[in-house]
Amino acid sequence: MKFTKALSACVFSLLFAVASSQSDSDFKTSGISPELTIKANAVVRYEKQTIEINDFDDMYVTTKRVVTVLNEYGDQHTNAFEGYDNNTKIKKMEAKIYNEFGKEIKKFKIRDFTDQSAVSGGTLYSDNRVKYLSYTPVKYPYTIEYSSEVQMKSTAFVPQWRPIDGYYVSVQYSEYELVNNSGIEIKTKTENFDNYNIEKLSDTHLKAKNLKGIKYEAYNPGISNIVPIFKTALTTFNMEGVKGINNSWEDFGKWMYNDLISGTGQIPQSVIDNVRSLTSGVTDNIEKAKIIYEFMQDKTRYISVQVGIGGWKPMNASEVDKLGYSDCKGLTNYTKALLEAVGVPSYYTVVWGDNDIKDIDSDFSVTEGNHVILCVPTNEENIFLECTSQTAPFGFTAGFTDDRDVLLVTPEGGKIVHTKVYDSEESLQITTAEINLIKDGSFDANVSVKTTGYQYAIHEDIISKSLRDQKLYYKEYWDNVNNLEIMSIDINNNRDEVILTENVKLRATNYTSKSGNRLIIMPNIFNRVRSIPPRYDSRNLDFRIQRGYKDVDEFIINLPEGVKVEAMTEGEKIESKFGVYEYKIEKLSNTKLKYSRSWTMNKGNYEKEDYNAFRDFRKRIVKLDKTKIVLKID
Amino acid sequence: MKNIITLTIFVSFVTFSVAQDFKFGKVSKQELQEKAHPIDASADAAVLYKKEHITFNYVQGEGFVQNREIHERIKIYNKEGYDWATEKVYLYQGSSGASKEKIIGIKGYTYNLVNGKVEKTKLKKDGIFDEELNEFMDISTITMPNVQDGCIIEYTYDIKSPFSSIDDIYFQYEIPINQLDIKVATPQYAQYNKLANLRASYQPKLSKRKVERKVVFTDRQRSEFYTTNTKFSQSTETYFDNVIEISETNIPSLKEEAYVGSMENYVSKMSFEMVATLNDFGAIEKSFSSNWEKVSKNIYDSDAFGGQLNRNNFFKDDIASLLQGVEVPFEKAFVLQSFVKSKVKWNGSYGFYSQKGIKDAYKEGSGNIGDINLLLISMLKSQGVNANPVLVSTKNNGIPLYPTRRGFNYVICMVEDQGKYVLIDASERYSLFNVLPRRVLNWQGRLIKEDGSSSWVPLMPSQQAVESNSLNIKIEDDFTVSGKVRQMMTGNLALNLKKKYLGLSQDDKVKSLESDKGAIVISETELEDKENGDFIISYDYELSDAVDEIGGKLYFKPLLFMGEKENPFKLDERAYPIDFLIPFKNKFKVNIMLPSGYEVEAIPQSEAIEYKSGAVKYTFVAKQNGSFIQLSTEFDLKSPIIDSADYKVFKEFYSKIVEKQMEQIVLKKV
Repeated sequence: MKFTKALSACVFSLLFAVASSQSDSDFKTSGISPELTIKANAVVRYEKQTIEINDFDDMYVTTKRVVTVLNEYGDQHTNAFEGYDNNTKIKKMEAKIYNEFGKEIKKFKIRDFTDQSAVSGGTLYSDNRVKYLSYTPVKYPYTIEYSSEVQMKSTAFVPQWRPIDGYYVSVQYSEYELVNNSGIEIKTKTENFDNYNIEKLSDTHLKAKNLKGIKYEAYNPGISNIVPIFKTALTTFNMEGVKGINNSWEDFGKWMYNDLISGTGQIPQSVIDNVRSLTSGVTDNIEKAKIIYEFMQDKTRYISVQVGIGGWKPMNASEVDKLGYSDCKGLTNYTKALLEAVGVPSYYTVVWGDNDIKDIDSDFSVTEGNHVILCVPTNEENIFLECTSQTAPFGFTAGFTDDRDVLLVTPEGGKIVHTKVYDSEESLQITTAEINLIKDGSFDANVSVKTTGYQYAIHEDIISKSLRDQKLYYKEYWDNVNNLEIMSIDINNNRDEVILTENVKLRATNYTSKSGNRLIIMPNIFNRVRSIPPRYDSRNLDFRIQRGYKDVDEFIINLPEGVKVEAMTEGEKIESKFGVYEYKIEKLSNTKLKYSRSWTMNKGNYEKEDYNAFRDFRKRIVKLDKTKIVLKID
Repeated sequence: MKNIITLTIFVSFVTFSVAQDFKFGKVSKQELQEKAHPIDASADAAVLYKKEHITFNYVQGEGFVQNREIHERIKIYNKEGYDWATEKVYLYQGSSGASKEKIIGIKGYTYNLVNGKVEKTKLKKDGIFDEELNEFMDISTITMPNVQDGCIIEYTYDIKSPFSSIDDIYFQYEIPINQLDIKVATPQYAQYNKLANLRASYQPKLSKRKVERKVVFTDRQRSEFYTTNTKFSQSTETYFDNVIEISETNIPSLKEEAYVGSMENYVSKMSFEMVATLNDFGAIEKSFSSNWEKVSKNIYDSDAFGGQLNRNNFFKDDIASLLQGVEVPFEKAFVLQSFVKSKVKWNGSYGFYSQKGIKDAYKEGSGNIGDINLLLISMLKSQGVNANPVLVSTKNNGIPLYPTRRGFNYVICMVEDQGKYVLIDASERYSLFNVLPRRVLNWQGRLIKEDGSSSWVPLMPSQQAVESNSLNIKIEDDFTVSGKVRQMMTGNLALNLKKKYLGLSQDDKVKSLESDKGAIVISETELEDKENGDFIISYDYELSDAVDEIGGKLYFKPLLFMGEKENPFKLDERAYPIDFLIPFKNKFKVNIMLPSGYEVEAIPQSEAIEYKSGAVKYTFVAKQNGSFIQLSTEFDLKSPIIDSADYKVFKEFYSKIVEKQMEQIVLKKV
């Protein structure tokens, strides 16, 4: 299954506060113990980050970091950069480079760092800037000693401690100390500390020694669920001049509601009148919400503009109405205002938006999340609206914000709820086809692919493509069929029920392979799985299958005259805890065969010991999907 | 008495008449009602009108100032076209703060049809974002308000530039352009060369004329002896502009095609370069460049280029010991290119000029392309080797349209000896003599010698790169397959795979080799980077899903997991050539041991397939030899470019190759 759709992600401008260092240790590469160079592109030799909280609006971060980079893949772990803006001042920044024998070969002062706007690809504008070290390594390994001091007025983002900051990086020594001079209560939380050599010197002072590198493995449960993390947050904090209280999600949500959102919801009377007339006569809240959602989709577009209160305050609804564009926060807030005008309550909702599923931490309230959606509560379930998409069906969240804990911002305070889970029965793909085989090995066929749920999200991209690109898409989608010619395409997008139906007429030459007077045909023409998960001699990490899905296929194959079946199998069923797969070939008549197949994958978290069984299951499917029928020409 | 001439100038414009329909601020209902583009229904948006007028106006104390006036009107048909409602303008900031480009006079409207009426929404300040991208470049981003399906957006702005260089003008976008209105007016005192991209499938028509310009100077004379007394006098200067105009309709959109090398080579555009300044009588005052010789010489004369080639004191001692006992020029070149590769790393920047100077690059251990390759040339020259720079335009820079300095963006090194030559690029770790990285393989480069003479050198390797694969197959009793693979690559094929595999951990090598090969387990992997530049990959494999047993017979493809699985050429037709980048050969030798108790029922027929009487050839030979089946195949591509006119024939030829490789061997029980 490919995920090609790019939902417009709306990412908050999180303030960078990362590390660097200077160590009193030896800069020689030979000083690294051999076990730390295995599965490592870089070794953190020494790291110490000190965070002084002087007041709710005064934080001073001192970072020292010495990293030995073993090869070019390790360059990214030097972390020699600082983000800054009007509320963040870089007081000191310095780096020294040492060769493998520990001899200093280069020195960078603050003015030698490259200064650049922190605008990312999809962002239109941002007032964040970044200073980073641009150094071309002459030779590997080398060691970098980096140190910085940063003064921040915003304390909403206290740097977390993540001694292992990615795959293939090991840690010789890392220390984190939070010094609280403010008298404000500080909350902390540790995650994944088991099995790591970490010493707690006090509640906010930790040390780690000799942490080995972690190798990337497919289907892993996400690096944040593997590596140790120490989270901290101030119970009274400052976000660009706005004071906030954060003892719990309830407080935090209340703060967001009162200080960031309330008062931003005004819209002109003419718009209120307009949406009221659009929904006049409609009594059902869900129906009303649907009309409003479509109105908003037609009127606006998504643009990432990262300004205002750390990228956390939404643009005024009246402004969005006037401009017709905004980012996720502005569009969500605007939709909320429109709903309010027609008497439908809704909640601004903070979420981690990504194809990979990630929760807002329900037991630890802290400024987190990278996206905002809108929740419309109903008696049965919460409906979530993606306001940055002009095309998403009402209430559809599969693939970007589905199945995860999110923060509802209500006037009574914050609440953690879970978004919709699309199970395998709902994320369905049904492919049916009638195939007329011709004696020369070519065929023509009518194929229909119907998708719902998560599989809808994967296929939905096709709608907006031009005919030329749709044709190319089908040639890639059925790349197991060579010489494919697409005769016609008819796509029906039922947004109300969220069903996408693709009807394709096509023709292929030389599909069968020939051997003497035999034709060999693979009856699974239109849904063949070809990739097997990678093999690991010894798997280290547990794995997860994030979403379940189900494929059902039925292909009728009409044989030409003078051709009959010489050999075929009847079918096979395989079952495992990961799912069920079955195919059957039936002879409906002398000239008509039916190939049917169904495959269900189950969502789940599994232990590493099960990986080989999972791989065998998938391997078997690949093999069975290549099942052949031998036909004989009279 | 002092004469002060103030800066008051009136310039009378000879305005160029614009079709009435495209007057800024007025759109028709018809335009708004249009649901799809009448010619290209697949277009998500279309440029209804694009105006780009470049003029130079004289300002005393500043000289000629370039004014680039832009006016675009864009129809947005659907949501996929919304990106066109955001315009990014890059403004060059020069090296000193004083001379930089500025954007002024931004105006814009979005038009929507609301209840049958045209509704105008004005672009306001909050839709314009200025920011500093880096020390050389600012960006102004304009994003239009109230964009909805079917709307029309329109904006206009001017860029004032103190620079004489004119940016390339694009005549083609990824969406259709209905009406194109281009004007470039350059003063008689500056001579510009211009040329359209001849590789583009769309070419506009140009018209040229001369237009009279007047500059009225107001001179002010003031006497300050006893009373202040000011007198004004006016003088008028007349000169002419050379004007090029393009007025075209219905320019097709540029559609991306796979295997094209770089679309930049095919987009319709025009380049300009100032080649000389002229005096009042039209005689050359100062010449910059006008033919390849001059361009080359101009570059050479620069301190950041030719000036670098005689600096050799700083490395003298370091290389003396390396070259002890090395006499042959090519051997010296080999030693020194290895030395430069290990000593100075590429920082990712292109450019033929030395960025920091070769001495600093040498000391710091990093530099741009100019730093690295000019350093190598300088070292070779200091050793009496006949080494010279070759200017290159990389793949993503397009093929140089005309003799302009900006046509080039890269430099490599050429060494000649006894009528033979080699090309070297020391910025690429795995490059060899005449085996250059992909970015460089763009048609031809310009060799410049110390005496200022210059000539073209082909960059394409003259020798075919070769990949030879040998595959042993043994079918076990349980129908799994095991055996050995040995792949040997030469030339650029070796370079590509070295970049891919060397530097990976053993684990990742195996993972990478196993990917896409089905139920395979690979062991005993060995990679060999040979001294002569060849690259060998060998491994043992076990494959569990290669053989099908159906009705007591065994079926399998002789190339198993190797060879082509699908025809990569999927488009029905192409507008641009296929570019394979290099000429190459791909060979297979397969040796299959039959399982005991089975004999051959059918093997694929031997066959030779040709494209265009042998320009590309494929041969497939299969024969049985006792209990072995032997197979040898060869794909032979002599020229890497396949014309778009021949695309259909080539696609068919290629699909025959894929089909041949998919044919099955059938074994039956004895």
